[in-house]
Amino acid sequence: MSAASKLDRTLAALADPYRRRVVDLLRERPRRAGELAEGLKISFPLMSRHLKMLRESGVVEEDRDEFDSRVRIYRLRLESMSDLKAWLEETEALWSRQLMAFKAHLHKSRK
Amino acid sequence: MTSKVFLALRVPADPMRAFEVFTQEIALWWQPSGLFQVSAAGDGRLAFEPGEGGRLVTTFADGSTFEIGRISVWEPGKRLVFAWRQANFTAQQSTEVEVGFEAVGEETRVSIEHRAWDTIPRRHAARHGFPEEATLQRAADWWRSSLRALRGRVAEGRAD
Repeated sequence: MSAASKLDRTLAALADPYRRRVVDLLRERPRRAGELAEGLKISFPLMSRHLKMLRESGVVEEDRDEFDSRVRIYRLRLESMSDLKAWLEETEALWSRQLMAFKAHLHKSRK
Repeated sequence: MTSKVFLALRVPADPMRAFEVFTQEIALWWQPSGLFQVSAAGDGRLAFEPGEGGRLVTTFADGSTFEIGRISVWEPGKRLVFAWRQANFTAQQSTEVEVGFEAVGEETRVSIEHRAWDTIPRRHAARHGFPEEATLQRAADWWRSSLRALRGRVAEGRAD
């Protein structure tokens, strides 16, 4: 997948306020799905759907609990955020270059 | 930091002239960046079709073209908004660029705001049933604080 389409998926996953709250909770520490559902006061099936989308877009990853393999633990994947950072940096570099070129062109055409 | 980029620069022209050169002479000042073609170098020759609904198109040496985006706001001497797609975006993906022109003495302050997917104002779909402004504001605040919090940690690696 290209960096742009990965980034698009990250942003789509985070367009939802519930999913952003999941990320907020996972930023503190990894958590169980049930714990997340309780924290957001939504049903477990609904939370599963949100977690599925976050997982598919690479924002979170799941692990088995080391003491109880039936329990799944979710954690944040910081790599997904670094794609956004990269886009911001590239876009800023692009426009600063283009604006400088635009200014230089206006200087030249004035003479 | 948010999921949009903002830059501004003063240029030696009045706003009308700056707008005109920005739109009509883009082929002359644009620097190649390799964004619109998957393989070969060069961006082709960029051109705006004047007016709302017009396109920003680039034409390559072999005559083929690529539509970068459509113009949604065309206010000569004031404001220009257009969609922005690069060659590596899928058909549904688009970002948005807003260019502002503001008189500062005899010069013009030209600003560029390039918005990522999640910060593009919605003209089409409603989002979560919230009023549009509130949703966007919330998303922008969230991104700002999240990215600030994550900034140092991304460099170090994983969160845990």
